[in-house]
Amino acid sequence: MSVTLYHWEPNANSGKPMLTLAEKGVAYQSRYLDLLQFDQHKPAYLALNPDGTIPAMVHGSRVLTESTPMMEYIDDEFAGPPLKPEDAKARWRMRWWMRFFDSYFAPSLSMIGWSIFVGPAARQRPPEELRAAIERIPLESRRIAWRKAVFNEFSAEELAESKRRVLFATLALERHLSRFKWIAGDTYSLGDINGFNLGYALPLSQPDHCNDTKTPHIMEWLRQIYERPAARETWSKGRTQMAARITILERNPRKPV
Amino acid sequence: MLELYTSEPNTFFLKPLIALAEKQVTFTTRYFDATSLEQFADGFPTDLESGLQLEREGPLLVHDGTLISSSFFMLEYISEGLPGMSLIPAAAYDAYRARAWGQFLGANLGSSVPVLGAAKYLQPHLATLDAAWVDGCIAKIEPVERRAGWLALRDGTYTAGCLKAAQTRLQAAVARTEKALQEGPWLAGPAFSVADIDAYPMLCVLPDLASSVVNPGATPRIMEYVGRIAARDSVRAARRVARTDHPERQFVPGPEASRWG
Repeated sequence: MSVTLYHWEPNANSGKPMLTLAEKGVAYQSRYLDLLQFDQHKPAYLALNPDGTIPAMVHGSRVLTESTPMMEYIDDEFAGPPLKPEDAKARWRMRWWMRFFDSYFAPSLSMIGWSIFVGPAARQRPPEELRAAIERIPLESRRIAWRKAVFNEFSAEELAESKRRVLFATLALERHLSRFKWIAGDTYSLGDINGFNLGYALPLSQPDHCNDTKTPHIMEWLRQIYERPAARETWSKGRTQMAARITILERNPRKPV
Repeated sequence: MLELYTSEPNTFFLKPLIALAEKQVTFTTRYFDATSLEQFADGFPTDLESGLQLEREGPLLVHDGTLISSSFFMLEYISEGLPGMSLIPAAAYDAYRARAWGQFLGANLGSSVPVLGAAKYLQPHLATLDAAWVDGCIAKIEPVERRAGWLALRDGTYTAGCLKAAQTRLQAAVARTEKALQEGPWLAGPAFSVADIDAYPMLCVLPDLASSVVNPGATPRIMEYVGRIAARDSVRAARRVARTDHPERQFVPGPEASRWG
């Protein structure tokens, strides 16, 4: 059975199955959807995933649309190095932290990212075109999110709260990685793949909070994942400056010529 | 040694009790009254994860010194880490569906059922306790997100608009569940699984809390499904932990709703 992955940049939810497939050595058909062109809300894609969210993976006749359970499916279904620890407590820890990333850390970090990057990029297009595009979004929660990002409707309080949470979550993660080398414990796992997609650009976007002095364990953890061949391969598929941010993790940055 | 810290067998607390009974695992019950804030007393076990956990209030499983929190992942832990039958579907795609249900219902029912239950039952219960003591307890809760779940019951957050928003979140989840049960008797594959153990405790209180949404006319399959699960030996055994006449009326604040709107 062939695998087709519908994804955007190697970043956040799209990057989770991309890096997992690369780590497992699974070849897949890549279908790049441009989030900023609302490709994920076009009829052809909605026929596949009526929620209009990215990513989606098709394996034979099976369609998978939730990125974190999708990572577990990839690990369960395909040969290749195991990406879930054998030990049940380590597995629980992996899942607990993935939920913390998905439901606490990522929504706050992405609210900041959307206000800085996605909103201004989308506003290059005429407002009436944007309004029509937003009306086509199937999930109400996603319509609200896009409206806020595109028309810059995030309140100062919302953004301040997101910044507070990003700092709080960064410190919690630093504390965790001072106890364990990897998210699940002793071994690299889906938890690290999830966390890396969330956090690879933290040293660039949050330089005051995530750096070698304040969060040395996070910095070393990010660099070790960046140095894995699967991460190199995955981020080379990026088409925008967003993916290029990963070079902040070079241990010996090239001096500008 | 296996210990389960649990309050009355309802919503989040009911889940591991059912799973442990399904597996027929022996454990020690450490009972506390979450509606009277006993989980904040000195000596209650806590660590980084249990302190930060996004369900805010819930059961805690302590296995040979390791604290297992967050109810869906606790169910997976009980399935994988303890002897007995697996409760995670054997086929990878069914396991994916079980996890996707856990995530979807956790976000949608998890953020709405406790709001409706707390407004109806917890808020009046807190009013019977010494106000200064309750407010003093709440003021000390860390982190602020967990404190906010309790403060909302004291500061007028539970407006008609807030309750209506919870009902709206609930409706989408109920509709999706009713539709899924048209296709088969269980949520994720051919057998009863962690997805059903996760869903049942949230669905079974809805004929009381949201009778216009969940009732025999509107949601016949959910009603049949809930009745079928209630009759299982494991659910009967789980209910026997109750110390009140109405465990189904015991609610605590649950996960917050998405901040994205």
